[in-house]
Amino acid sequence: MSDIALGETTPRTPLWPRFAVFGVIILLVVGALGARLFTLQIANGGYYAGLARGNSLTLQPVRSARGLVFDRTGRQLVDNVPTFAVKIRPAELPLAERPQVVARLATLLDMPASEITEAIDSAAGNRFELARVTGDVPTDVARIIAEQRLSLPGVEIAVEARRNYLFGPLVSQVLGFTGSVTPEELEALGSLGYLNDDVIGKQGVERSFEEVLRGSYGVEEVERDARGEVVRVRRTLADPEPGNSLELTIDVDIQADAEKAMKWAMDIVGLERGVVIVMNPQTGEVLAMVSLPTYDDNLFARGIDSQQYQDLLEARGGPLKNYAISENFPPGSTYKLVTGAGALADGEITDQTKLVSRPYLTIGSTKYYEWNRQGWGPIDIYDGFGHSSDTFFYQVAGMLGMDRLAYWGDQFGFGTRTGVDLPNEVPGILPTTEWKQRVFNLPVYPGEVYQAGIGQGYDTFTPLQVLNAYTAMINGGDLFRPQVVRRVLAPDGSVVQDFEPDLIRKLPIDPDVFRIMRQASRRVLTLYHTYNLVDLPLVLGGKTGTAEFGVRDAQGDLRYHSWFVGFVAKDPEKRASDPNGMQTIARDDSELAVLAFAYDSRTRGNAATEVVKYFLQMHYELDVDLRLRSLLSREPSP
Amino acid sequence: MGCALMGTLRIQPARFGALGSTAASGSWNHFDLQLAFYALALAIVGVLMAYTNSQGAPLESGSVFTRGLMWLAIALVLFTLAAAFDFRWLRTLAWPIYVGNLALLVLTLVIGSGTGGVSRWVTLGGLQFQFSELAKILMAIVLANYLSGRRDKLKSLTTILGAAVIAGPPLALVLLQPDLGTSLVFGAMLFGTLFLVGASARWLLVAAGLVMAMLPVAWEFVLKDYQRARLISFLEPAADPLGSGYQLIQAQIAVGSGGLFGKGLTNGTQTQLDYLPVQATDFVGATLAEELGFVGGVVILLLFSALLWRVLLVGWRSRDTFGLAFAGAVASMILFQLLVNFGMVMGIMPITGIPLPFITHGGASLTSIALGLGILQSISMRQGRQSW
Repeated sequence: MSDIALGETTPRTPLWPRFAVFGVIILLVVGALGARLFTLQIANGGYYAGLARGNSLTLQPVRSARGLVFDRTGRQLVDNVPTFAVKIRPAELPLAERPQVVARLATLLDMPASEITEAIDSAAGNRFELARVTGDVPTDVARIIAEQRLSLPGVEIAVEARRNYLFGPLVSQVLGFTGSVTPEELEALGSLGYLNDDVIGKQGVERSFEEVLRGSYGVEEVERDARGEVVRVRRTLADPEPGNSLELTIDVDIQADAEKAMKWAMDIVGLERGVVIVMNPQTGEVLAMVSLPTYDDNLFARGIDSQQYQDLLEARGGPLKNYAISENFPPGSTYKLVTGAGALADGEITDQTKLVSRPYLTIGSTKYYEWNRQGWGPIDIYDGFGHSSDTFFYQVAGMLGMDRLAYWGDQFGFGTRTGVDLPNEVPGILPTTEWKQRVFNLPVYPGEVYQAGIGQGYDTFTPLQVLNAYTAMINGGDLFRPQVVRRVLAPDGSVVQDFEPDLIRKLPIDPDVFRIMRQASRRVLTLYHTYNLVDLPLVLGGKTGTAEFGVRDAQGDLRYHSWFVGFVAKDPEKRASDPNGMQTIARDDSELAVLAFAYDSRTRGNAATEVVKYFLQMHYELDVDLRLRSLLSREPSP
Repeated sequence: MGCALMGTLRIQPARFGALGSTAASGSWNHFDLQLAFYALALAIVGVLMAYTNSQGAPLESGSVFTRGLMWLAIALVLFTLAAAFDFRWLRTLAWPIYVGNLALLVLTLVIGSGTGGVSRWVTLGGLQFQFSELAKILMAIVLANYLSGRRDKLKSLTTILGAAVIAGPPLALVLLQPDLGTSLVFGAMLFGTLFLVGASARWLLVAAGLVMAMLPVAWEFVLKDYQRARLISFLEPAADPLGSGYQLIQAQIAVGSGGLFGKGLTNGTQTQLDYLPVQATDFVGATLAEELGFVGGVVILLLFSALLWRVLLVGWRSRDTFGLAFAGAVASMILFQLLVNFGMVMGIMPITGIPLPFITHGGASLTSIALGLGILQSISMRQGRQSW
């Protein structure tokens, strides 16, 4: 190698193998890199391009504005208010930092840390989706949280629309409320574009008309950086469509009168629960539906905390339930409508038929008493209904028998959900021999037929079913599906859908029978069975009910509910030509039927009747006040 | 390339005589324009990458782009100065250079800073400088000087051991920073240089075998936890997709999604949306492949190949062992860094902090290479000298 060292004039020929090897190594390295480049970019370019798109491009929903709700006169019942919500993307919250972050949030939001943890853990969907912690965060708190992003990893402030229920508790049972979607709901609705942190109608029309109100969410393709921040919107695949609005059949003024009337009686008596429903018998429209006690749906819209919710669950009377449709009660004497109309329709009796009412009837050794333990001697259907004679209707029920009675009950809609456009309706119990056999494995005893004939025994129904059955009698035989929503309106106010009266069935009963029953209802008043109600300057008919329930107390007395169903003639002025109002009430064009139900109302008089009386005084703006407070004293009455 | 090289090799010796003697100032006629062109082309690609990695504000002062331009200017000046400088003085200065080199590396260990408890950079006047980059060139000078002195005993084992002893201290100091990648570059330069100057192939093989045998020991005692994690994730990136494997996976997605022509400068979604980590430095190759595509990547590889050819050619033409050894060291350095860095972003090499020459944003890397290439030019320009 000395030639190299000296070899200023010597070529490096002896070293050419080393240069060659070095050159080959360069070729190998460059070749390998080029081959790898080819594999990644050309052979698998499409695959990696897809991965890169998946990395940065995601489809993001664009929320739509939820539809509004108006009453039948066009008054707005709900508003969408922008508020701040706190949300967490669990994937961005390191497990090690979670306790500190949750504790910090709990302090800022003034809520228990356990609820925040639960919100994170119970969120459906994957860890990369936002979990909603709470809504309606005050602006200053939202600002603090936004500014502390670095110490609160994964926590985000989002602006969302919250429902603001302008009338609060007054219409909450009908309107309902929205709330965070639960994992179970999401499971069922996932395919419909619901999001992890979405809101959904939970009760009332908010729930039953969820699809209408929600509209449809839009979809846009957004580019996100590695931190998940949206960098820009690439394109909109679908525009969000705002939800449609609802126009209820409810009239807020009627609702307010009905609530006021019931509250008045409840306060005096100390009632636990009360229901008032007002309907138009000609259409099945519900003009008012009051179920007391009730709650403020804004509590839920704002995000109810567990203490408030617990308080509501434990509150006297159970304010979260709509007792107009969600619980069954024995209808008592109001059910004599079915017994009487059924027997007339079947020809078991006519309006000439007289049956002897007496202190009691006997089956075997059991006595079945008249309610006043005296009776009125031989009476027809008018007086039987007017006095609400139990022994009269025991006999009529006996003529029909259990199953024929049940048949007519079914025709009037008892034992089947009315189909009102509200959630959580219960069907009631309409006993038949088959039902008795199936449930108790026993035959129907004759005494049970008597009981059924006066709305006692196994019969239990919802207040709405009772009122709806009466509307069929009032309008001459049309059983409508009750409705609380009248129309669906587009955001621009145009009518999308008009809900026509929805006939369930035309009852197979001669119109004369209904006329007889309407006149018999009038007789209830003219016989002073309802005290001074007949003195109202209106022609109306009605029927009381006193329905025993529960078990006998130490004195052998049963607790009872009181009912009253009334209906006012379309042209209700009293006329000299028709002193008793019998001609007026015979007409089938009444547009106002009202039911009051007073739960566990052991009062001297019928509390429900007083409620209806007070309601009618307010509704028709009568300048008389015939309310009898004395009837509302808590005394056992026969 | 091989054929081209061989073809050139046959022609060139004939010209040596004609070139004759050269003055101490060198002959700018012998300035290797091709070498300068390829290097400049690569450096311009580097500036383009700095542009695309400037987060949408390349013209703001202090942006990656403006700093890249500044370093390119400094590099050009250094390159020119080094070319004008008579490289023979380096032999005289070799040992002071060696001591100075060690001093800089010790200084780095003492006052250096870096991310995650390492000390790699020294901040001078607001600019970070990585002396380990400069150390590569300085070591190449010392090594070339040493081998030049032992030109009669290149085949002996002592030469290999001596070279290793010279390379050992700077390598160890870099390893202490800790910077495994750069110390591996030192090793590759040592090995490549010895190979090219004609050191005993047998003993080099033995040495390579010994290094291989030491690997398990190094795994246990030298490698840090994060280095072990990187190696594991290199072998199986999917094992921890959001941890150590994340960079590898995202880099491969970036490269792969570039396709034939790339997404265009500043249009790389992986790069611009920060899916790709450290895209301006270690993973700049992924940005390049994503935005310039297969075509751009192949052009870069061809430019590197051509540059390496010119570097080796300077070594081949040089009349003394110094020039030969220096060219071997520079070629080994560029080739190794190209392999490891570009291989890393494509998932065929483990993650190390080795820069991609010219392309990776970083003043130390660029200016050091400029210095090295400038010295090579100086050698090229003065190759006609027959004696010192």
